[in-house]
Amino acid sequence: MATIGNNSFNAKLVLLGDMGTGKSSLVLRFVKGQFLEFQESTIGAAFFSQTLAVSDATVKLEIWDTAGQERYHSLAPMYYRGAAAAIIVYDISRMESFERAKKWVQELQKQGNPDMVTALAGNKCDLEDKRMVPTEEAQTYAEENRLFFMETSAKTATNVNDIFYEIARRLPRAQPAQQPAGMVLSDRAAARSQASVCCS
Amino acid sequence: MFGSQTQRETSNGFALRRRAYWITSAISNPRPNTITSSIPKKKSTLSVKFEDMYGFTVDGNIDDVNVLNEVRDKVREQAKVWLELEASKGTNWYLQSNGDRINVVSLKLSKLANAITLKRLVRKGIPPMVRPNVWLSVSGAEKKRSTVPDSYYDDLTRATEGKVTPATRQIDHDLPRTFPSHPWLDSPEGQASLRRVLVGYSFRDSDVGYCQGLNYVAALLLLVMKTEEDAFWMLAVLLENVLVNDCYTDNLSGCHVEQRVFKDLLAKKWPRIAAHLEAMEFDVSLVATEWFLCLFAKSLPSETTLRVWDVLFNEGAKVLFHVALAIFKMKEEDLLRARQIGEVIGILQTTTHHQYDPDELLTVAFEKIGSMTTNTITKERKKQEPAVMAELDQRQRRLDTSKMNG
Repeated sequence: MATIGNNSFNAKLVLLGDMGTGKSSLVLRFVKGQFLEFQESTIGAAFFSQTLAVSDATVKLEIWDTAGQERYHSLAPMYYRGAAAAIIVYDISRMESFERAKKWVQELQKQGNPDMVTALAGNKCDLEDKRMVPTEEAQTYAEENRLFFMETSAKTATNVNDIFYEIARRLPRAQPAQQPAGMVLSDRAAARSQASVCCS
Repeated sequence: MFGSQTQRETSNGFALRRRAYWITSAISNPRPNTITSSIPKKKSTLSVKFEDMYGFTVDGNIDDVNVLNEVRDKVREQAKVWLELEASKGTNWYLQSNGDRINVVSLKLSKLANAITLKRLVRKGIPPMVRPNVWLSVSGAEKKRSTVPDSYYDDLTRATEGKVTPATRQIDHDLPRTFPSHPWLDSPEGQASLRRVLVGYSFRDSDVGYCQGLNYVAALLLLVMKTEEDAFWMLAVLLENVLVNDCYTDNLSGCHVEQRVFKDLLAKKWPRIAAHLEAMEFDVSLVATEWFLCLFAKSLPSETTLRVWDVLFNEGAKVLFHVALAIFKMKEEDLLRARQIGEVIGILQTTTHHQYDPDELLTVAFEKIGSMTTNTITKERKKQEPAVMAELDQRQRRLDTSKMNG
């Protein structure tokens, strides 16, 4: 799950949620800064990686973006096994996708890594006029279930970097074999990703 | 344009359009979704955009363009071979000559000879102009269609028009997300065709309904077959006869079985690769699931995918294992050097996305893997089934308890 270098480590992150909630779009926005109105549907899962600098460490996120259709549910354990973090995504304009998100939360609580950092993302928050899931309702649910919550928009880039950086900050650090911290990286808001694995 | 079956003569279909792989624009960024982080690049790095034989826009480099041009020449040569055979043996000589599916003892010698010729020829590639007819014949789709009234497909589409089900809603959601960069699939006409095929099938088999992944398969079938009805029957024969049962139903149990069989085969055929990946805790299903569910349509370039499908329809689902094993074998040394999961995925994605030469892949798939009969695979599947069922069942029960407690 996490390989440790000098103050840097790898962490597996999985995105879960109903089909068409924008999981792939969130990742694409984060990793490549792009947005496609019609993002190809994901089959099985897609892999991305991105390195982030946060206050005291460099985190290389290994991101698994999964397929959303209900029957693909049976494949999910392969992707969340050993994950250090998860983003559960719903679409604020579709109540059923919020219900589906709750099921994912339950499943991870039951079967996932107990220390997993879990975020709840209410995506497509640019569609305010079509909103079906009230912010307060999701916020309350998130607090009750000890998730951190953000409304995001892959289209406008709202909160997209923030949610990934917040995850990186919350990841448990001190691994037993870790060497003492070397240099301390500054925690500027402008601390941007250092490298994307997706291009060469 | 997807009107009639006489496109062979008129030669204005997608497959027959003789267009060069012209360079539409030179771009400096590689294609999205390709992971090529730490793989040393030997090939030229200038990226170019061009259109392949089936109208897909491809981002590649100059070497890729050259390979594709060679492939196109080979396709022309193969077309000549097929035409000569038709001249000597008659137009539909390959009809019912499929040796795997009929009793060889009762087979007339000429038919057996045809079956052997056919198997060899199909592995070398079916030229696009005869592909629809040959596929319909060797897969059994034609036979399947002959058991129902001629109006079956029209009746089905008429009866299902305007009906809304969970499957149709999901299909509608995926239509604009199916190869959106393909000009025809991005058009209202193309999406309407794709919709009718997928919706029609969802009513034909409500256990399958609609499964994501079938959108890519059906889209490519449409591009090859040219008529909706033929594409529909190819989809039907694929799901009902060619592939293992339940690949796309309910909890994808058939797909789980295939993945386990594949892992076993990988360990038997390429023990070094399997051991190395296992030591890294890399589960090959992480990448192979998409290959098996989309039949490589989302991973390999179009002509390479269709060459795989040529053999798939003639020889059966074991072909998927051959191809998947070949992909790993071709990159054995690179894979053995990989130290991180991201590297492994990068190697496999780069290999598949740039596999413009179908012969290179198919030679490894059918000449370097050793014998692997349909019987062996069937036995393997039988062996894996109980474990898959038990695992899925157990998981479901755990989730049900968690719901009750929650």
